[in-house]
Amino acid sequence: MASKVEPSPALIQTAPRQVKAGFLQQAFAIAGKDLRSEWRTKESINASLSFAIVILLLFSFAFDVSSEFSKEISGGLLWLVFAFAGALILNRSFARELVNDCLDALLSSPASGAQLYLGKCMSNFVMLLIVELMCLPVFTVFYNGLWVSQAPMLLAIFVMGTWGLTAIGTMFSAMTVNLRLRELMLPVLVYPMMIPALMAAIRLTTIVMAGDAVGGDDQIWIRLLIVFDAIFTLLAVTLVETVLVG
Amino acid sequence: MLQKLTITLAALAALILVWNLHTILLVLPDEINQGAAFRIIYFHVAAVFTSFCGFFLAMGLAIAYLVKKNLQYDAMSAAVTEVSAVFATVTLITGMFWGRIIWGIWWAWDPRMISYVVCLLFCWGYLMLRKAVDDPTQRARLSAVLLIFTTLDIVIVWKSIEWWRTQHPGPVLSIRNGGGMAPGMEAPIYWNVLALILLATSMALVRMRQESMQREIDAVRRYAHAM
Amino acid sequence: MDARNFQFMFYGFSVAWSIIALYVITIAAREGRLRKELDRVKRMVEQGEKELRK
Repeated sequence: MASKVEPSPALIQTAPRQVKAGFLQQAFAIAGKDLRSEWRTKESINASLSFAIVILLLFSFAFDVSSEFSKEISGGLLWLVFAFAGALILNRSFARELVNDCLDALLSSPASGAQLYLGKCMSNFVMLLIVELMCLPVFTVFYNGLWVSQAPMLLAIFVMGTWGLTAIGTMFSAMTVNLRLRELMLPVLVYPMMIPALMAAIRLTTIVMAGDAVGGDDQIWIRLLIVFDAIFTLLAVTLVETVLVG
Repeated sequence: MLQKLTITLAALAALILVWNLHTILLVLPDEINQGAAFRIIYFHVAAVFTSFCGFFLAMGLAIAYLVKKNLQYDAMSAAVTEVSAVFATVTLITGMFWGRIIWGIWWAWDPRMISYVVCLLFCWGYLMLRKAVDDPTQRARLSAVLLIFTTLDIVIVWKSIEWWRTQHPGPVLSIRNGGGMAPGMEAPIYWNVLALILLATSMALVRMRQESMQREIDAVRRYAHAM
Repeated sequence: MDARNFQFMFYGFSVAWSIIALYVITIAAREGRLRKELDRVKRMVEQGEKELRK
């Protein structure tokens, strides 16, 4: 009879560290896969970007662009465009895995639901941020934005706001992936959920677009964005396994 | 037994409502500033309380489902959410009528009313999701997760809309500010709250039984097709 | 009571209670439909069992 082999203490000590590094590694691998696939086809980004520019143009017919009024609504305008364009990216997020049973393959892989969710969330975040940064010059030219002096703050708002949209949107994309009315259900469920993040991002962007710094009273919106992002990312990471698998 | 309980609750609710209606319409005098219109508040506040309790109860039941995996909890949370949506609609309508009388406008962008519209949108999405999923277990799972997300979000939405309205002050028109009660006039509100909660409970029990019936139909149909 | 205020109060009450009444009617209609469907599928099962026993 073969004697039982005891694992060496060195191996036991490294094992937990390997598992921790593996969690983010797996998530990055999934994000990388999605971004590489998107880079080769550029379907989502093209559709999203052209949709965003069309909406920007359409809004110019709704009100007088040159007036003071357009400065007041600049943040609202920009973030509504991002929210609508973002829905195109978010819809494709899990739906692209339905072809050839790729979703089943991913779920059967060693990657947990949380890793899959984080990977997809990160790739959606990068794609949406690219669309936003490409829309920004167009918006600045159309609506005379004066944000250059506040560029770092604007970037921070984009990052925090976009993470909020993609954290919620990716979770709901996972929820609706197997429904027959997927394209209808996702906007219906996601937009009301995004209201606090959109409100905060809109308020902060309006201030920054006028060239002003974010003052004392308005810092509450930065805190709201951070808290929103943290709470819903944590909740999504906890519950996504239930949604995808059971 | 459940049927007897439902009928008892509904009958009790009807009795309290009729007795309260007598008090509100015939016993209480008109309010000095608002005339007869303030009587709407008795139902508005009661409906708010009922629907608000319902939303949080539904979230508790959703969590109970995810923990225990018993489809009864799913049936209960769906029933409670649907009934709460009805009372949320009543809240909005009565609030709008009160605003129309007192301020002359149907909608004053009051933070609480806006939050209630968002609540209704969440309920609507929840009910649409339930219709879109055929498998009972998947339906229960997705509905429970959605309810947890939306109930947490409604708390954040509530506070953010309040902050937004403080920074963008509109006309200072608030049902809380404008609807203050003289001390002797508050008792009917509490009786109405009790009556509406009893009514909501009886409606939820009926809906819950219907959800169980639907599950029974699905099970028997599967057995029939298998044969 | 001031006539116009009373009118609006009456409309407000009516609309609110109509919503609740409409919901109760919807529940009652659904109950009828579900009972009919349950009877139908139970009959289907009985028929199927009869045929199996033949």
